Amino acid sequence: MECSFALTGKGYVLIAADMTSARSIVKMKHDEDKVKPLGPHLLMTYSGEPGDTVQFAEYVERNLRLYQIRNHSVLRPHSAASWIRRTLADSLRSRSPYSVNLLVGGYDVSEHEPHLYWIDYLGTMATVPFAAHGYGSYFALSLLDRYHNPSASLEEGIETLKRCIDEVQKRLIIGLGKFKVRVVDKDGVREIEI
Amino acid sequence: MSRSYDRALTVFSPDGHLFQVEYALEAVRRGTCAVGVRGKDVVVLGVEKKSVLQLQDPRTVRKVVMLDDHVCLAFAGLTADGRVLIDKARIECQSHRLTVEDPVSVEYITRHIAGIQQRYTQSGGVRPFGISTLIVGFDPQDPRPRLYQTEPGGIYSAWKANAIGRSSKTVREFLEKNHKDDMGRDETIKLTIKSLLEVVQTGAKNIEIAVMESYGKVTNLDLAQIEAIVAEIEREKERRSGSVRDWRQLRLHRQPCTWVRLPQTHRRRSVSLVLQSP
Amino acid sequence: MELNGGSVVAMVGKNCVAIASDLRLGNQALTVATNFEKVFPVTDRIYLGLPGLATDVATLRERFRYRVNMYTIKEEREIEPETFAHLVSSTLYEKRFGPYFIEPVVAGLTSPERGSKPFIAATDLIGCLNFAKDFVVCGTASSKLFGVAEGLWEPDLEPDELFETISQTLLNAVDRDAFSGWGAIVHVITPEKVVTRTLKGRMD
Repeated sequence: MECSFALTGKGYVLIAADMTSARSIVKMKHDEDKVKPLGPHLLMTYSGEPGDTVQFAEYVERNLRLYQIRNHSVLRPHSAASWIRRTLADSLRSRSPYSVNLLVGGYDVSEHEPHLYWIDYLGTMATVPFAAHGYGSYFALSLLDRYHNPSASLEEGIETLKRCIDEVQKRLIIGLGKFKVRVVDKDGVREIEI
Repeated sequence: MSRSYDRALTVFSPDGHLFQVEYALEAVRRGTCAVGVRGKDVVVLGVEKKSVLQLQDPRTVRKVVMLDDHVCLAFAGLTADGRVLIDKARIECQSHRLTVEDPVSVEYITRHIAGIQQRYTQSGGVRPFGISTLIVGFDPQDPRPRLYQTEPGGIYSAWKANAIGRSSKTVREFLEKNHKDDMGRDETIKLTIKSLLEVVQTGAKNIEIAVMESYGKVTNLDLAQIEAIVAEIEREKERRSGSVRDWRQLRLHRQPCTWVRLPQTHRRRSVSLVLQSP
Repeated sequence: MELNGGSVVAMVGKNCVAIASDLRLGNQALTVATNFEKVFPVTDRIYLGLPGLATDVATLRERFRYRVNMYTIKEEREIEPETFAHLVSSTLYEKRFGPYFIEPVVAGLTSPERGSKPFIAATDLIGCLNFAKDFVVCGTASSKLFGVAEGLWEPDLEPDELFETISQTLLNAVDRDAFSGWGAIVHVITPEKVVTRTLKGRMD
C-alpha cells in the first residue's frame, strides 16, 4: 500500500511519501521517513520490499558521499540517477536482487534546473515532469496530467501535491496516515509541513 | 624452491630487521614535513608544501585530506602510496557508517589504516606503503580532540603533538619544549606554524594549515591568514632576541660571586677576574 | 516485452534508410512516461533501436556505447553497420541463458568508401541476425507493423517519401496496439545528413 509522489515546478522538485510501515494487515509504524536526502541538492523516496528499501537507500547514500569526498565534487542529479539505475539493473540479474522503487529528485546547480527521475526495481529509468509509485500512481498520475504545471510556484506545487494526497486518502480503501514532504531547490533540501 | 624466497619482499634479515620496512621509513624521512598539534578543544594539522612549479595548478597537490566529516589525515612520504591508502580509508569510513550506522571513531580508522600498512609488510608480492600518517579528528559525541600517528610497519600511537617526515626530529624536539596542555585555538595554530618554521625556510607560502575545532568543523587557513601569523611570530622572535641579550647581562650582574684577588706575581702579568660560583 | 511496451521499425529507401520508434514507457497498462526514446545514434551514420524491457534498453545502450567507443579507439576508424550488427549479435548471445529482453534493430549507411549503401538488420533477443532488403519491425506492435509496412513500402523511395512511409506505418500500427504509441520519433539517414523529427500521435 506504499505510495510516493513527486513533481517538478519552477526551480524546485517536491517529493512526498507516506509514513506508514506495515506488515501484512498490521500497521507497525506511522512515522517512518521514506524520503532520504542524498546530497546538498538531491532527494530520493524509496518503497518496495521491506529491508531492501532502507538497505539500498543507505548503500546509495554512502556511495554518493564517498564520491563527494573522493572527488571534491557532488554528482549532478542525472549522473546520480544513472548510477542508481545501473546499480539496480546489475542487482536485478544478481543472485539476490534489491526490489526497491525510487523517485529521485534533484536541483542541478550548474544549469539551474530541477530534475526528476522515476526508477523501478528493474532498473527502468524515466525522466519525467511528475511521477508516482505504488497504488497512488493510479489516482495521482491522471490528476497530475490535469493539474501539473512545470512553471508553477512552490505554493501552487504544494496545492497540486495536496490534491494527489487527498485523492489517495479518499479513494484508496486504506488510509495512509501522514505524508512526509520535502522540497529541493537552489537553496538545498528542506522539509515541508502540509 | 628458490621461488619461495622472493615471494615476499619483506623477509627478516638474520639480525631481525625487515629492511623493506626500514627503507619505507627512509622514504618517509625524505618526504615533506607534517605536524599535528592537539589543543584544549581544537586540533591542528600543518604540512610543508613543496613549491609548485610556475605552470602547475596548486589545488591538485593536496597533503591534508578529509577521510570523513570528522577525520582529517596528513601524510609524509610517497604521495602516490598515500593516495591508495587514503582511498581505502575513505571506503572504510563510509562502509562503517553503512554497516553500524555510526561514524568511525578516530582510533578505529587509525587502527584500520595501521592494519592495512601492517598487512603490506607480511604478504607476498607487495611492498610496504612508503608513508607515515597523522590522523586528527573528533569522536562522535565527544569534545576531546584526537591525534594519532601511523608508520609503514603498522605501528600506531596517540600523541599530544607530533611531527613526521623531513627533519621531524627537530620539530618534535621543538614541540616537546613548547607544547602546553589546554592551548586555545589561536595558540595551537601558532605553535603548529612556529614548529613548521623550524624546518620550512621559505615561510608562509609553503605551509598549509587545517584546523578542526569540533565534530565536522574543518577549516583550511588561506595564505593571508598564515602570512599574518608568520609575521607575528617573526616580530615576537625579534623582540625576544633583543631581550635575550638583556637577560644575559642581567644574569652576569645577578650572579652571586666573589671577586678574588690573585697573588702578587700573577697580578703583575695580567689583570684578570675570575668568577667563582658559590 | 509487454511489461514496458514499445515498438521500432526500420526501412530502406534509395540511398537512405529510416528508423523510428514510439515514445511510450509503460508499467503494464499504466503509462509512466511519454518521452522514452528507444532509438540511439551509434555513429554519425548508424542508429540502433532497442525495443523491449526498458531497464535493458538503458543497460544495452550503455554497453554498446562502451563497446563501439573501444572499437573506434582500437581500430582508429568508425565501425561499419555490418560489423556493428555482428557486435550486437555477439553481445546478446553472450547472455544466451539469461538474455536481455530486447530485440535490437540496426539501421545505417556503409562508409562513403564503400558506397554509402543502405543497411538494416534486426535480431531476436539472443542475437540471431536477420538481414533485410526492405524493412524490419520489432516490439509489441510488430504484428501490426508487418501488415502496414507490407502495404505501404515500395522499393527506391526518396528520403522524404521514406519519411512519410515509415511515419504512416508506425503511427497506424501503434494505434492498434495498447502498449505502444504516445507519439513517435523518426530518423532519416542520408549520406549528407540525418533528419530527426518528433511526431505527435494519438495521445491515448
